[in-house]
Amino acid sequence: MNSAELELTYTALAECVARVGEAKASLLLATLALDLLSRQPDADSALSHILQAERLANT
Amino acid sequence: MNTAASLPSKVPVLIAGGGPVGLSLAALLAHHGIPCLVLEADASWCEGSRAICLSRRSLEILGWVGADGPVTAKGLPWVGGRSYFRGAEVLHFEMPSEPAERFAPMVNIQQYYIEQFAHAAAVRAGGVDVRWSTRVSAVRPQASGVDVDCQSENGRTHRIHADWLVACDGGRSTVREQLGLLLEGMQYEGRYVIVDIEQDTRRPVERLAWFDPPSNPGSTILMHRQPDRVWRVDYQVADHEDPAEAVKPENVLPRVQAHLDMIGETAPWKPLWISIYNAKCLTLPRYRYGRVLFAGDAAHLVPIFGVRGLNSGLDDAGNLAWKLALVQQGHAGDTLLDGYSSERVLAARENIAFGAKSTEFMAPPHHGFALLRAAALRLALVAPGVRSLINPRQTSPVEYVNSPLNQPDQGAFTGGARAGMPAPEARLRTSQGAGHLTALYGSEFVALYFSNNPRLPDHVQRAAEGSAVAALRLVRVSAHGEPDLRTVVDELGQAWQRYDAAEGTLYLIRPDGYVMGRWREAASARMDIDRVLERTLKDLR
Repeated sequence: MNSAELELTYTALAECVARVGEAKASLLLATLALDLLSRQPDADSALSHILQAERLANT
Repeated sequence: MNTAASLPSKVPVLIAGGGPVGLSLAALLAHHGIPCLVLEADASWCEGSRAICLSRRSLEILGWVGADGPVTAKGLPWVGGRSYFRGAEVLHFEMPSEPAERFAPMVNIQQYYIEQFAHAAAVRAGGVDVRWSTRVSAVRPQASGVDVDCQSENGRTHRIHADWLVACDGGRSTVREQLGLLLEGMQYEGRYVIVDIEQDTRRPVERLAWFDPPSNPGSTILMHRQPDRVWRVDYQVADHEDPAEAVKPENVLPRVQAHLDMIGETAPWKPLWISIYNAKCLTLPRYRYGRVLFAGDAAHLVPIFGVRGLNSGLDDAGNLAWKLALVQQGHAGDTLLDGYSSERVLAARENIAFGAKSTEFMAPPHHGFALLRAAALRLALVAPGVRSLINPRQTSPVEYVNSPLNQPDQGAFTGGARAGMPAPEARLRTSQGAGHLTALYGSEFVALYFSNNPRLPDHVQRAAEGSAVAALRLVRVSAHGEPDLRTVVDELGQAWQRYDAAEGTLYLIRPDGYVMGRWREAASARMDIDRVLERTLKDLR
């Protein structure tokens, strides 16, 4: 994905989060994350993304 | 300083507003031989630094009237910047830059210096009358011009008839209000306090940004160095803060002190100027209303992030000056000015689109953008691929897609700059020594003929003798040999490469340095520049 496509994606997700509202934002993002994680080649790879996200969220 | 005493009753061009755009436009019009009167409500150049980042393109435009030298002598050049999330660097960006370039991609300088140097250039060019402390109070468009009432300091009203009125009177334009015109678009809620402070520093000149810094948790802070030992500090205020309270020194100074402490700037300092700002994405739908034209903030308001405000205003002036001059001198039909409007409205819409993107990052307008920014900043610590999201998207010249002036390519080009794009820069050798191609632009039309043969084909030779329609200068770009008054030597091959030139390629460059048309093999195409100019300028009449 080039930087223009990344920017488009960023904006689309931000607008989507705003549309569903704060109460449903976690569900939206969990659904999205699970969908993308299920396309990882294996569980090790998926788990490393989960742990990285946990570490960054606690930053 | 001249005020309203002995104002003329009739002028060819009246410019409402003597800010950086109005004064630059006056200098540019004078350079093209059009006298003008500038009316400015304030008593002199502006107070406070205001717009401080001049782009390379703006420096080129100021160069057309010789105002580039004083700006670069005073200003601080820079090429890149750094962004930090809390304590960690998450972005280091650099704008395009090359050795021995004519201008740095960006120069920081206080707006009052820009106004001063543009004013001096206008005076040098001759025929410009600047009146301070004189405000436009009424505008009455007529079929053959505009009647303008203005008030001098003593309250006396003067009536002036202008063939053309150009509104450069800023965001709260009186001319716009008098015509009953409204800006269209939207504003953002997020506010930034802008503070100038005086302090010695040894830090390099860069754009610096901190997201959620320990000095001011939750805020975003920007810093730019300016000449005269001045720092510009911008910081975001929380949504619940009252703007009137936010600019009080007792609320501003502790935040600045905390941040200076954090970054280790320990020299004594004092505040110089405090203001507040919120991002706006607004434009008039057109910039021409009969004999009234709009430029700069009077025409459009764009977000501060990406420095597209003053820079786009100077591009307005650079686009308008030569067209208004040709129309006023009877060399072109007045629809050429509709082209000013369509080209610069297109530019404003692009600037607004980029400015909105930057604002969504710098001052997130809702919970969705705030959440995504928090994620992007964290991810940037470990994933370089997302760092482009933090890039401030600095201003760059806009392509005039579908401009009525654009000529279709003749012959097959695989690169270079097509009609409607800014003509590329190149380092080359001129009869005056080492030079730059863009230094040739800004006065007349330029026919750039790429050839190693000093003998020009007959029809190209005719162009070299000038055009009956508009001022035209032919310059041969040779890959080798010696330069002379009409020949530049492209030893490095930059010009041939950047214009995708072959032997016999010809580019027609507009007086504002944009490509108007190009002919891959001008020698065999029997192209006739005079007819092209006739068709695009005169036949519009």
